[in-house]
Order: sequence, then structure tokens, then C-alpha cells
Amino acid sequence: MRIAGDTIGPRGIAVLAVSAVVGVLLGLHGWSGRHNGLPSTLASSGPRPSAPARVSRPARSPAITSPATTSPATPSPATPSPAPSPGPKLSSQSYASYSYQVWPGPLSTAAKAAATGLVIAVHRHGSGIMVTAGVAGQPAPTPRFYPAGAKVFVVEAALGDDSGNSDYNLGDDGLVVTNSQERILQ
Amino acid sequence: MSNTAWRNRAASKSARSKASPPAPDRARAGDLADRATQVTAEWAPTAARVLLGLVLAWFGYHELMAPQLWTGYVPVIAPGSGLALAAVLVHGWVLLMLAVAITAGVVLRLAAAVAALLLVQIVVTLTITGGLTDLTLRDVGVLGLAVCLTGATRQRAVLTA
Repeated sequence: MRIAGDTIGPRGIAVLAVSAVVGVLLGLHGWSGRHNGLPSTLASSGPRPSAPARVSRPARSPAITSPATTSPATPSPATPSPAPSPGPKLSSQSYASYSYQVWPGPLSTAAKAAATGLVIAVHRHGSGIMVTAGVAGQPAPTPRFYPAGAKVFVVEAALGDDSGNSDYNLGDDGLVVTNSQERILQ
Repeated sequence: MSNTAWRNRAASKSARSKASPPAPDRARAGDLADRATQVTAEWAPTAARVLLGLVLAWFGYHELMAPQLWTGYVPVIAPGSGLALAAVLVHGWVLLMLAVAITAGVVLRLAAAVAALLLVQIVVTLTITGGLTDLTLRDVGVLGLAVCLTGATRQRAVLTA
């Protein structure tokens, strides 16, 4: 059989048919696991391990602030939310290898790269810290309180989707806060 | 011929033989270069096919396995919607099919042409949303590979039967 000037035989058709079926099976697997994303607090008020943050256009320039660089205009909630309960250990999660510590500092180069397109602010607040994490260019979500000793990690599954100061795929980014034993706070 | 003339010729010949390899060696080097050029000409399109197929297969596989990580790339449609997810899955399936067709050499030129169109769409979308970046230009290189294969007429290791 000839298609667009190229000959295709029974073996060629068989190979394409098999790959089509494999593709459909992989797609079904992907569809069934569509809720298994990275943890995120970026687009919501609280950490939800199965809800990755997503944006429709590239976000730009990482912005991580700590007390040393905090602007006085940073919003602070009047009533901090209750302390979250500890969950599984970060090291037991599939995304542990993509997690980069941003608090306490100092920030590594990888953490800065992973935070591209995000705005993460951490401030000392009484006996703990207030964490605000959002997508650059979008309204900042409400800050959330975590007890003393908490650590903040940014998750970036693929640094290859960051270019310069843009992140083309915030779907693989997230934020995780753990206690001092590195148990995820949720 | 006088002794002096003979010695001069002999000395001149000796100097020439030290300065450049003898004629058979040069001929052998030329043959090797010709052979290398011939092998490269025969197999380079096959290497291009396999490498382009690898790129397409990699992205297709990951789009199919974890579509939720790729919805940010879908233009116009809201990234959190089921439609964006379905679009990523369809895109991943098409990439996988193109990868297999290009690697196996099945309807190669048609597959390469479709791959080139897809890559044009990707480059244009990335340029509109993020400008000309290193990511975009990397895709321009892959687009060049696909365009080259649309004109390929001689291929080794293709599945035509």
C-alpha cells in the first residue's frame, strides 16, 4: 500500500497498530492517575498533596523572601490558622528527590532555580513562621502559620522547563512544609 | 648520467619521501576518507530518524503517563480543565505514533511532515507566550531535523514490508 509516496506493508501496519494500542493503554493509565500530582500550596490556602498548581502562561522571576529581605508592606493575617498536623515523612514521598529547601536558608542554586516563577515568602511570626507561596503575577494567597522548627521546601520535578526567569510548566512545581523531623505538615 | 647527478637525484627523492607519505599510503588515506563519507551519507539519515524518534517518544511517553504535568503548555484552554488534560493525552499519543513511524521508517516522509507541523506549532506557541528563549531555539533545532527528514529519499533500516 502507498501512502503519500511511501510504501507501507503488513509489518509496518502491524507496528503502527501495536504502538497505537500501547499509546491508548498509556493514556488510560495517565488519565486514571491525573490526580496524582505534586504537593502544592501555591494556588490554595492550605497544603493539598494531590493538587498541583497550574498556570496558563509562563511565570517569571523567582522571588523568595525571608526576614532579611522582607518588605514592610507584606501582608500578615490577624488570626493565624491552627497548627497543621504532621503527616508522612518527606523522604518517603516520590517527589523527595525534587525537593529543595528554601527555609531555613541559605538558598542553594538549585532551590533558586526550582523557585523560578513562584513567589515564596517566609517570615518569623511569634513561635513559628508564616509562609506565603504563590505564582508570580497572580494575587498572593493567605499566609499560613507553621510551628517553630518548620522547614519549607520547593518542589520542581523538571528544572528543564525553566528558561531564564520563566517557568513554562508550573504543573510540576509545588511547596512542602515539614516539621523539624521532616514530616509533612498538612 | 654522472655520479654527481645521480647522487643529487637520490638525495632529492629521499627528501621528498621524508616530507610526505608514499603514494600508496596517500591513496589508502583517501580511500578511507571516501569510505567514511560514504558510510556517513548512507547512515546519517538513519541516525537522524532514530534520534528524532527518541525525542518524540520521550515526550509522548511522559505526556501519556503524567498528563497533569503538561497542561500548562496547552494554549487557550484553562490548564486545570479536563479538556486540557485530554488535549495533552491526544498530543502524547500522536507523538508516540510519530516516534514509532519515524524510527521504524514507516511512511517516513508523511510522519516527518506531521512532526514538523507539530513542532512549528510548539515553537510558535512558546515564542508567543515566552518569547525567543533557549527552550524555543532548542525546539527550532528539532524542527530542522524533522524538516530534513521530510525530504529524505534514501534510508537504511526501514520497515517497508
